[in-house]
Amino acid sequence: MADDKKSRKLATEAATRIPRMVRANTAATLKAKEEGKTVAYTFIVCWMDEIMRAMDIVPAWGESYSGICAAKRESGKFLEKAEAENFSRSLCTYATCNLGFDIWREELGGAMPPDAPWGGMARPDVILGSAQMLCDPRFKWPQATQHYLQDVPVFVGGVYWPPWDPNIDQREVEKYYVKYAVDELREAIRFLEKHTGRKMDWDKLAELVDLVDRTWNLFYETYELRRALPTPMDTGDAMNTMVPLAFMLATQEAYDFYKDLNTELKAKIERKEGVAEEEKYRLLWGAGLPSWFALSDFQYFNSKGAVFPVERTYREAQAIEGLEIPKTNDPLEHIAWRWVKYYTHWFDKARARKGSLPEVERLIEYIENYKIDGVVFHQAFSCRTWHAGIILQAEILKKVYRDIPVLIMEGDIVDISSYNEADTHNRIDAFIETLEAAKAKRN
Amino acid sequence: MTTAHVNGMATAEKYYTQYGLRARELKAQGQRSIGYLSALGPVEVITAAGLIPVRLKGDVSEAITKADAHMETIVCPFVRNVFDAVLKGKYGYLDGIVIPHLCDSTSRTYDTWSYNIDLPYSHFLNVPHVTDDPSVEFFKAILRVFMKSLEKLTGSTVSDDALAAAVKAHNQNRQKMRELYSLRKGNPPLVSGAEMTKVLVAAMSLPVEESTSLIESVIKEVRVKAASQDGKRARIMLVGDQIDDVVVTDIIEKAGAWLVMDDTSIGSKMYWGDVDVTPDPMQGIAERYLRKLPLATTYVDPQKSYDESLEARFGHIRKYADEFKVDGVILFIYKYCDPYGFEVPAMKSFVESSGTPVLYLEDEYSASTVARLKTRIEAFLEIIAQ
Repeated sequence: MADDKKSRKLATEAATRIPRMVRANTAATLKAKEEGKTVAYTFIVCWMDEIMRAMDIVPAWGESYSGICAAKRESGKFLEKAEAENFSRSLCTYATCNLGFDIWREELGGAMPPDAPWGGMARPDVILGSAQMLCDPRFKWPQATQHYLQDVPVFVGGVYWPPWDPNIDQREVEKYYVKYAVDELREAIRFLEKHTGRKMDWDKLAELVDLVDRTWNLFYETYELRRALPTPMDTGDAMNTMVPLAFMLATQEAYDFYKDLNTELKAKIERKEGVAEEEKYRLLWGAGLPSWFALSDFQYFNSKGAVFPVERTYREAQAIEGLEIPKTNDPLEHIAWRWVKYYTHWFDKARARKGSLPEVERLIEYIENYKIDGVVFHQAFSCRTWHAGIILQAEILKKVYRDIPVLIMEGDIVDISSYNEADTHNRIDAFIETLEAAKAKRN
Repeated sequence: MTTAHVNGMATAEKYYTQYGLRARELKAQGQRSIGYLSALGPVEVITAAGLIPVRLKGDVSEAITKADAHMETIVCPFVRNVFDAVLKGKYGYLDGIVIPHLCDSTSRTYDTWSYNIDLPYSHFLNVPHVTDDPSVEFFKAILRVFMKSLEKLTGSTVSDDALAAAVKAHNQNRQKMRELYSLRKGNPPLVSGAEMTKVLVAAMSLPVEESTSLIESVIKEVRVKAASQDGKRARIMLVGDQIDDVVVTDIIEKAGAWLVMDDTSIGSKMYWGDVDVTPDPMQGIAERYLRKLPLATTYVDPQKSYDESLEARFGHIRKYADEFKVDGVILFIYKYCDPYGFEVPAMKSFVESSGTPVLYLEDEYSASTVARLKTRIEAFLEIIAQ
């Protein structure tokens, strides 16, 4: 096991700004408490970004903070704390790391646990969970947290999208999902108005909904620049540049960040500046959250001439015009349609190719558009959300598309005890050989 | 379709050991069956469509050999074991399956199921976790989509009258099972934990009328059978999700305790909440599955104090502990289970605060771990005895 953290060299200037932004997000929760603002524990893809920002609520992102703890290799003590309370090691380690932190902070009467990365995260005033198909911890984690922060009110809203079914046209059922989500988002607003004493500013909400649309478009356009040969940015950077989309959505700062990234990528393309010295293999990060304590593995890939111009992970945005969102004056309905369509707009493609799946169609689209030579998946043992179904995707991809080299790596997102750097590098080396053999065969 | 069960317990034993036997026999007579995963399978809708609802279970004595090639090992061991059984053709008699949205291990693997199983029909039922009014409205719509897909399978329309009749039949079934449970309240209990497990498993594999008839037969037998003359033993309650084998029960009872009650998804979680008779039968059905099944996958929050939240989530366990004079609770959770796993500290402290000790076990869905379970359970029983 690698004991020392190796810093990762970033390809873009924009990505180097991310640690400061993440730190600022964390610090904002502490400052908010001083200023009497409401701090909400919440989770990415909660569909409530615009609502929180419109009500001047400061989000505290548990997943982000656990990722920071992991990247700084400080998560072990929090995981142990949670385990001592009978939270199993097989549970989501984003959640257990954060729970360990919360438990410790409560034991200290509100003081931050020793060596808490970046000064720690503020105690929340409310917790906003969500029940979805995305993951169970989104509603179980808030409940578990409340066991230690018993005075903190929790809201969990149901925000779902239709499951893929080749025999059901999603258009027949989408309306049920949108209506349900709108009702639940209204409940969320009622909950926040009650607990913050502030009223929703509906004009501001509408403005922020528009800002998110523009951010999604800009994000999409910017990431599509990575199709260039050589690619100007790979997944190692994207695991940083996802921060504004995931944790700062509905802010001008997020929009401006992608504007800067867009400009920077265009300049790099102009200069034909790539990620690897010689770009030999172009890879797709097919699915899975990364091991936050081992992001330098992307650099190891790069050192072998392998780059990742595209990834499925943290690409939770599409060009709005491609989603065919019905026109509505209700900002909540627009939010609901945007998310529902984000998930279902791949369905028609999957239906058109017998035996395919929406997620596989997405991979195929990336493989073709980004001229991909191989696919890498990462399977984290503590997370079923992202990591169940990977075997199927790899299998169907080969069946309905072509026999493309695939690597499934195993590890975790936060728990470093599962990681062995030498083994990981050996697996990457073997995969590089497979890529080389496949390339030789093609030529 | 009703069959009188002359010897209820022997029949339960037969259907427990030869799971699905009756559905296979009825298939030969032209009856069709649908397998459903978990307590969230809406049996009323399946019955109303003229299909036999068969609860899917695995086999703890069977090693997973086929599923590993298709389903990740980080998925719930119970789900993987059932999937393995389906791949091995053990449910070849079914006309299809419905997988309700119970948890990540079901929702994130549904494509793996539908892609790999060799059955004519499969459906993912998107049950919401939240239980407020908009959730009930949404779930009603989703249940109608499910019903429509069954109508397509059978070629027949399901009337509201058929739904109402199915509701009545399943309510009767649950009422009978509760009657059988009540026979465990005495000291000594008239039904052992192993016997009860076998009845529960057999009952979930039969057409509803046959299931009710079987339970009635068992009740009659039990009422006349001589009570055990055993002296005082510790009275244990088992809590968890789908614990559908006697392995754990046998460890408890062979160690000299009685398993007198459960809060499992094949047991009391299934049988305590009836469907209310409502003008639109789907309303009552939706409300039951969202609001009356105390599953960890359901988000319950009265939006009041934390103590009231705990009462809403776990109050029934304390109530059972009083009614069945429980001396200790064994909380048995499968590995990789986020919904139950995140509840452990809250549930454990809530139950223990009323003076009932709790043993928490996290394990596999496999008989291979019996030795270590035995050690933990025996040690717990010794502590209770002190």
